[in-house]
Amino acid sequence: MNGTLVATTEEAPREADIAFDRLYRSSRDDVYAYVASLVRDPAAAEDVTATAFERAYRKRSRFDPSRGEPRAWLFGIARNAALDELRRRGRQAELAAEPVDLVTVPAHESAEASERRLALTAALATLGTRERELIALKFFAGLANAEIAAVVGVSESNAGTKLHRAVSKLREACDGAL
Amino acid sequence: MEPFRDDDDLIAELGALRPTPRPAFAAELDERVAAGFPRRSWLTGTPLGPRFARLWSLPPRRLILSGGAATLAAIAVATVVVAVSEPEAGHYVATQSSQEAKPRGGEESSGIQFDAPVPTVTGHVGSSRGDSSASAAAGIGSTGSSTTGTGPFASRAGHREVERSAEMVLGAEPTEVADDAAKVFDAVHAADGIVLSSSVSGGAAGDAGARFDLLIPSAKLSDALADFSAIDAVVSRREATDDITAPTVRLGEHLRDSRAKIDGLLVQLAGANSDGERAEVEAELSAERRHAASLRSRLTKLDRRANLSRVSLRIETGAAAASSHEGSDWGIGDALGDAGHILAIAAGVTIVGLAVVGPLALIALLAWLANRTRLRRARERTLA
Repeated sequence: MNGTLVATTEEAPREADIAFDRLYRSSRDDVYAYVASLVRDPAAAEDVTATAFERAYRKRSRFDPSRGEPRAWLFGIARNAALDELRRRGRQAELAAEPVDLVTVPAHESAEASERRLALTAALATLGTRERELIALKFFAGLANAEIAAVVGVSESNAGTKLHRAVSKLREACDGAL
Repeated sequence: MEPFRDDDDLIAELGALRPTPRPAFAAELDERVAAGFPRRSWLTGTPLGPRFARLWSLPPRRLILSGGAATLAAIAVATVVVAVSEPEAGHYVATQSSQEAKPRGGEESSGIQFDAPVPTVTGHVGSSRGDSSASAAAGIGSTGSSTTGTGPFASRAGHREVERSAEMVLGAEPTEVADDAAKVFDAVHAADGIVLSSSVSGGAAGDAGARFDLLIPSAKLSDALADFSAIDAVVSRREATDDITAPTVRLGEHLRDSRAKIDGLLVQLAGANSDGERAEVEAELSAERRHAASLRSRLTKLDRRANLSRVSLRIETGAAAASSHEGSDWGIGDALGDAGHILAIAAGVTIVGLAVVGPLALIALLAWLANRTRLRRARERTLA
């Protein structure tokens, strides 16, 4: 998503609000998916998601378009909020053992499909925390590699390499489980 | 069970695991976003609440601008306060000269000296003319002898003998000192006065100046001071009077007594019958004549002090002189001077403020950076 959040804030606050609203609507579910994968608690994920958007709203005037994409900026805020929540709760950010209510298995699915999904969930649990975060940012939140790099604070090529390794490792874990 | 065919197959399956928010939560969040995440603080519900919320919702840049404007206003107010409370140079000099004034003591001094009630601040000199003579009428002597028929203060004397003195400081530009000094000589000459000593020096502001010790006939003192005041800006002016009526009257009485005694001794000498008696009277006559001469000399000095006023006149350059010009011919140069003065005060206030705020801001900045680093590391540790 290109464009500015705040560049227009001082000139026309309404436009800034519209820009933020656009960012919110395009990212709400993605942020929740990423945060829920990180904190592994639906209630906490809702609180953190709301906190992240509120922080972003308050800081919208500080956003500098020259320093990155709005989505990367938003997910950086969400990441900090999620990690703060995890620190507050004294828990480690483990993507393993996804909560049951986060892994929904449709009733009409075949047993084989359900088995594949559970195997994938178990394979995710074998990945390291940072690898799982990359998976969540890429495939749950739908961020581009450049955005992921900005969120986790590495270079774009480094983010791509790490993501590739995480996917390969996940696939190996799935192949082993199946 | 069939494994994933490729990465695309795996990714497609991952997408199915994506957590989704509850519709109720999504709707609630939508409402909060639409409302702009209203804050609740302890001020909420109070009259200050809306204003606080409006202030809090301002972008940081506007807050910084507002804070900067408030800081500038504070500096301006502090500058005005400092400028107003700063003592005026001319007035200070005048006060100091007044305090430094010492009574010119002599054995015939009345001991009580009056500062003429003239304004010693630049620009108010014109109203001082003649005031000293008025105050002189209140002069009293303190060393009067009770033997005088007019009492210790010579209060019944028909004519008061008043010694007058004056000190004046003029402010001038260094280039004007020579001209001003020449005008001083002219004014002294016009008043039939005497220049006891003078000294004129050139140079830069503060170094250049002139000093005059003058004797001006008392009857022309006021006119002479007026002429001096017209030469350049008056920084300070002080006039003093010393009532010397009592010692003058007393000396006159003593002199009359002495003369009467001399006349008596002369009569006694004429009637002396023996050499021994004649020698004794001559010795006494000689002593009395010396005493009379002494009394006459002291009386002459008193008359001279009453007739001639001592005036100390200085021409100064530099800061004191500059301040003196403010009250007289205020112009563009003075305006620039005032502006520079105010800017200097503002700079001083700013420097003092920075000296106080700077270290605190630096400490706050370092603390913020340290906390930020600590927080970042703590967050990364959470992921480890």
